[in-house]
Amino acid sequence: MYLKNLLKVSCFILLCFFAIPALAQNKTVTGKVTDSKDGSPITGASVVAKGSTNGAITDVNGKFTLTAPASASTLVVTYIGYTTKEVSISGSTVNVSLEQSNNALNEVLVVSVGYGSQRKKDVTGAVENLSAKNFNQGAIINPVDQLSGKVAGLTITQPGGDPNQHASVRLRGQSSLSGGLSPLFVVDGIALDDPNQFQNIPPDDIASYDVLKDASAAAIYGSRAANGVIIVTTKKGAAGKTTVTYDGIAGESMQSKYYDLLTGDQLRAYYSGNTSALGSIDKGANTDWQKAITRTAYQHRHSISMSGGSNTFNYIASVNYQNQQGIVITSDKQQIGLRFAAEQKALNDKLDIKVGIQNVSTERTFIDYANFSYMYNAPATYPIKNADGSYNEFSDFNLENPVEHINQQILGAKENLTLMNGSIDYAITNDLKIGGLGSISRNNVASQGFYPTFADQGNKNQAGQSNENTVSYKANIHINYDKTFGKHKISLLGGYEYNDFQYDNFTAFGQQYLVPAELYNNLGSGNAIYNNIGSYKQDYQLISFLARGNYNYDDRFYLTATIRRDGSSKFGSSYQNGYFPSFDVAYRFKKDLLANVDWISDIKLRAGYGVTGNSDAIGVYNTIETVGPGNKFYNGATGQYLASYSVNQNANPLLKWEERHGKNIGLDFELLGGRLSGNMNYFNDKTTNLLYNYTVQTPPFIVNTLLANVGTMVNKGFELSLNGQIVKGSKFNWNASGQISFVKTTIESLSGVYSYAGQTYQLTASQIPVGYSRGRGLSSNPITFLKPGYSPYEFYLPHYTGVDAGGNQTFDGQTIAQNATPAGHYIDPAPKFNYGISNSFDYGNWSLNFALRGVYGQKIFNNTLLDVETVTRLPGNNVTKEALTNGIKDAPVASDKWLESASFLRMDNATLAYSFKGISFASSFRVFLSANNLFVITKYRGLDPEVKTENAAGGNILFGSNVAGTANQAYIDANYGGEAYYPRVRTITVGANISLK
Amino acid sequence: MKRKKILVIALTALMVGSMTQSCTKLELKPYSVEPASNFYQTPDQIAAGIAPAYTALQGIPDGNVNQMNEVTSDEIIVPTRGNDWYDGGQWQSLWLHTFKPDVFVDGGWGDLNNGIGKVNFTLNVLNGLSTKPSNINAINAELKVLRAYFIFQFMDMFGNIPLVTDYNTDPSKVTQKSRADVYAFLESELTTNVPLLSTTVDKTTYGRVTQYAGYMLLAKLYLNAQVYTGTPQWTKAITAVNAVISSGKYSLNANYFDNFSLTDRASTESILAVPFDNVNIGGNNWEMQTLHYQSQATFGLSGQPWNGFCSTADVLNKYAAGDVRKNQFLVGQQYAADGVTPLKDSQTGLALVFNPNITTISSSTDAFRLAGARNVKYTPNAGTAGNQSNDMVIFRLADAYLMLAEASYHNGDVTTALTAINKVRARSGASTWTAADLTWQSLLDERSRELMWEGWRRNDLIRFQVATGVHYFTGARTPAKVDDGDNHTMIFPIPSPELLSNSNLKQNPGY
Repeated sequence: MYLKNLLKVSCFILLCFFAIPALAQNKTVTGKVTDSKDGSPITGASVVAKGSTNGAITDVNGKFTLTAPASASTLVVTYIGYTTKEVSISGSTVNVSLEQSNNALNEVLVVSVGYGSQRKKDVTGAVENLSAKNFNQGAIINPVDQLSGKVAGLTITQPGGDPNQHASVRLRGQSSLSGGLSPLFVVDGIALDDPNQFQNIPPDDIASYDVLKDASAAAIYGSRAANGVIIVTTKKGAAGKTTVTYDGIAGESMQSKYYDLLTGDQLRAYYSGNTSALGSIDKGANTDWQKAITRTAYQHRHSISMSGGSNTFNYIASVNYQNQQGIVITSDKQQIGLRFAAEQKALNDKLDIKVGIQNVSTERTFIDYANFSYMYNAPATYPIKNADGSYNEFSDFNLENPVEHINQQILGAKENLTLMNGSIDYAITNDLKIGGLGSISRNNVASQGFYPTFADQGNKNQAGQSNENTVSYKANIHINYDKTFGKHKISLLGGYEYNDFQYDNFTAFGQQYLVPAELYNNLGSGNAIYNNIGSYKQDYQLISFLARGNYNYDDRFYLTATIRRDGSSKFGSSYQNGYFPSFDVAYRFKKDLLANVDWISDIKLRAGYGVTGNSDAIGVYNTIETVGPGNKFYNGATGQYLASYSVNQNANPLLKWEERHGKNIGLDFELLGGRLSGNMNYFNDKTTNLLYNYTVQTPPFIVNTLLANVGTMVNKGFELSLNGQIVKGSKFNWNASGQISFVKTTIESLSGVYSYAGQTYQLTASQIPVGYSRGRGLSSNPITFLKPGYSPYEFYLPHYTGVDAGGNQTFDGQTIAQNATPAGHYIDPAPKFNYGISNSFDYGNWSLNFALRGVYGQKIFNNTLLDVETVTRLPGNNVTKEALTNGIKDAPVASDKWLESASFLRMDNATLAYSFKGISFASSFRVFLSANNLFVITKYRGLDPEVKTENAAGGNILFGSNVAGTANQAYIDANYGGEAYYPRVRTITVGANISLK
Repeated sequence: MKRKKILVIALTALMVGSMTQSCTKLELKPYSVEPASNFYQTPDQIAAGIAPAYTALQGIPDGNVNQMNEVTSDEIIVPTRGNDWYDGGQWQSLWLHTFKPDVFVDGGWGDLNNGIGKVNFTLNVLNGLSTKPSNINAINAELKVLRAYFIFQFMDMFGNIPLVTDYNTDPSKVTQKSRADVYAFLESELTTNVPLLSTTVDKTTYGRVTQYAGYMLLAKLYLNAQVYTGTPQWTKAITAVNAVISSGKYSLNANYFDNFSLTDRASTESILAVPFDNVNIGGNNWEMQTLHYQSQATFGLSGQPWNGFCSTADVLNKYAAGDVRKNQFLVGQQYAADGVTPLKDSQTGLALVFNPNITTISSSTDAFRLAGARNVKYTPNAGTAGNQSNDMVIFRLADAYLMLAEASYHNGDVTTALTAINKVRARSGASTWTAADLTWQSLLDERSRELMWEGWRRNDLIRFQVATGVHYFTGARTPAKVDDGDNHTMIFPIPSPELLSNSNLKQNPGY
């Protein structure tokens, strides 16, 4: 397999070398772009050889290296906020100093659009670019936090404070019910196998993000692009002097909020005069279990990068280390990353070879989330430890000593992610280029777990290990043709891509180990009857052809068309190839219609239509009828227990990708000479062939669910982004940006006809229960549903109308005794809009940045309080103070009383920085003080209004996985049975960035 | 320039050429799963492929089917204890007969149809093999009788059921059959196939459907014929059940509890049992469902039970003093494993005293945590937390005797009835009955005493109600249940997910 893929990669690399003899003359120009006022380097300026499409972007030191046609005589240098300058090429080195200007008209920001880049003003789709200077600052450990709140329509949610959980990333709402919801992450041209892998990449390595928001922009990525695409460009070396930079932070985090649980004394006071009822529960202590399992957590991150190069060669190497403690005792993440990237040009710069390798090793220590429910349940009158220093052991239903359990359970994982890539591009002529790209990605996760015996619990100890590999081989060949005829410019792209995805795992675990000190290191030594092993492997391919054409008339009229054909072995035999077209038009109408309107500098109207896909919900072998081992059976003749083999899924040869048909209309504008710029988008997307596991009747079906493409979902939204230079002076500058996005997702249909082999069968689902309340007496109690005409995860809850004289809750006026199953009412929990506001103030050497982010109209089901704010739990389980006064005296019932408004405004980050000038050893030296999650304004009574919306990170083999809920538990904030909310943190950080001279 | 063009063309041709071959071929390569078409090749694979029809039984004696048949009767109540066991009202709705056509009643439907579907699939595969197993006829008969058991239970619970017996049935053509039609099908299926089954009763047929299990099922069908068709078939029931009793292959265990012990695989009374094993076959969670959290200490369990299922004083009071069967219930003070250290409810500090007097179905009082008599007829399995190793009974000889008694009593044969009943009673130290003791009520009570919590109570109550007109099933009972008003609750509603998955289905009357 490996060999075969290697052959495929090498086959086109070879092809490229064939073309080497056909060369024309090019020249390389290097130089530096500086600010005319103070000589400081300008980063991100665009340098283009006039009359060609060859361009370069200046690096952090203002330096650039440009391959220009031999005939080129002039360079055009542009940068936002500066006057564009044309300078003649008077040698191989050209230094340019730019003057600040109010006119940002000629900005030539280059934006990645997938399989290539375009000038920002030429982009016809809804694409947003964010470069390093606009990233969020402060205690950034996870790179996606750089983007949080910055891009309209992009929602990034940290599901609490667990360093080992992945943030959820959502673009323009939810377009799938069963598949992945994260945008596709493409790093330096290579799509990651799993979007969560991106969150292991050190944030310091990233230079910019380009977010392809609408279906027409994303369609070039075909069957994986329905959730949009985020293109990540990592930092590169540049010609010129070697640069060495250090970035570092150190910070401490504390829990940002606690529930107001009873103290031991308050519990005793409540039972005063009735101490017999408290009975054996009162052990005299005053334990705050919330604080007992948490701590002030420290984190630090360091990265050193070195880069440099010559006209034909550049490189960057970086090493990163981070250690992030979690606030819950023992939870921890350590990571070491090493990256090297180099680019070599040859044959008069016609040949461009790039290689890159990145390795990230992560070591995680997890906690079992069941401990959170123990924490809420444990009476405050119990001490943590006995007088003799031993743990105070106690055990009841869903109740153990959480401090003891966390400290003695060992749950960890070691992850090793390696991304290797290489590319060769060759310019056959000035207009025609051909290239190839190959990559190998490997992610290994080795998990270990040990769960000891607790005397009071009477359990057997357990230990296990697992090892899983996610490996992919990818290659592409691409041909570009760019030509200008007078006022007509065309740009054509053709490509072929091959992807092979492999996954395998191996697990072993057992019980009853006589020597617990050996942990999981001697798995064969337990009671043999409990030894359990497993392994699995799968493989599928994705083979694609893609093409794009851009046409530009006079930089005023634009047309873009793309098509991609994705063939996947996951798809049913009837539909192995999917076609994903897109079509865009754009019109920059300043020149034609608004030439005399001075305050409008540039304005562009865009409209696009595209089709993107999502096939995550389709398992590799879902299309065929497969057999696998099921429950064991007893063979009386031999006394053996053998695995039965049974069909474990209904075949569906009709399975195919979900299709998001997106329409987008947008307006990009620059006003007041670029002082105010922004864009707005309206989109109306319909996802058809929605995949869902429909309930089918058994028999005749062998299994009672059938994965089928019959639903429809609609996403409509509006987004507005604004950037303004509010104050612009010689010493004081104030820039502000803001974005707001409205999105409404509606399930339109969950039914359709499934037709196969002459049989037609109506699949229907009218109200599918998906999210469940959690807690004692709350099992099998669905509260959210998928229902046509409603938002996904619409709540259907009884309406709480108070309590009767006896403290019994009433629902629409009736107690549970009067009606054991009260009727529900539909309530939409989805946010009405999301927004973000960023400000930066510069005064001399000082700068202050802050970023606010908010959500309006969201509702969260506070399942934690439903469980904990119940006086009937006393005295064996602790309660909130509110439980004593809220008047409810009967058992908890899931009702709208607990569905709370979770609108919020959060101060995500505030950073105060000071830059030292004129330091002898450093070209730049900046120190900063930063606070993350400084405050949150919300009416939500839970720990935080942002709760998890999908599976937690990692996992461990003893408990299946460290599950903190699934997508199906969206909007439900529960702490029960392993589903839990790891408390969010507030972090104070100090940091420094130094570039050595 | 010309050379360049040639190169470009050659390059393109080469690329396109290479791609149309290996570079565009999609290949589905199963490594860890097997396409069904490749399986069923070796005798071991065939044995493993038949087994799922049986593993479907693992969900019956201690699962949704048992709960729907017991909690709707007087035998098991699952009261809402403070915060515990409300669960959306499902347990209360079973006891109160207020169940609705929602997901709560879908569990039993799903478990039974899983069995029917697995048999249909297996029959289809085996009979389609190019080289069929030599004993294909016996296998077919065994699988069909096993399927008949699932269909019998399915029809008994849901009344008007979709009857699908061919794997290749067009799902859009499936419609409901009346109980009478299903009865006719089952009678024909059983009378045809039961005689083909094995008469060997030893370890090789343990846990499998023998001829006697087949006759037990046929006897159950006939015994309930009046409920299903309106016409009683007492004589046919007697004939069928006598085929079991007179075979001489079974005898009552000397000790009632040998039917349910951790070594119950040695039972001489078991006609069809479902094997369970702590390590290998999970699903017997009897101890967890009924015992209190702190009962862990009494039985040395490795986890805490769930404090759920229990029985009321009315049930307990059916047993006379000296009847050893009463010992399946735990009442009063509970002790640690040493038998002398009294236990306490650790959450409230109350003495752990099980109180069978249940006057309400829901209460948040501390004492209500201890309400109800707990059933430990299946001996709790020390060192486990659920997944006990006791095998569980579907058919046993004592039931056959009581069925014989009931049918004979209907036919006026009191002597046979009394002989059969007294065999069962004598084994447990209960007094010998005379004709004066035999009434419909006492017979029904005797079935309850003997077959307590074994999944037949709903079926018994309905049959006796239909035969006598007394509201045994639909009537009021303590706590909280009022008379249903009509008989629609005698069959469960068609669950809403099933109505959605098959638009041909019509809801049962009254729902």
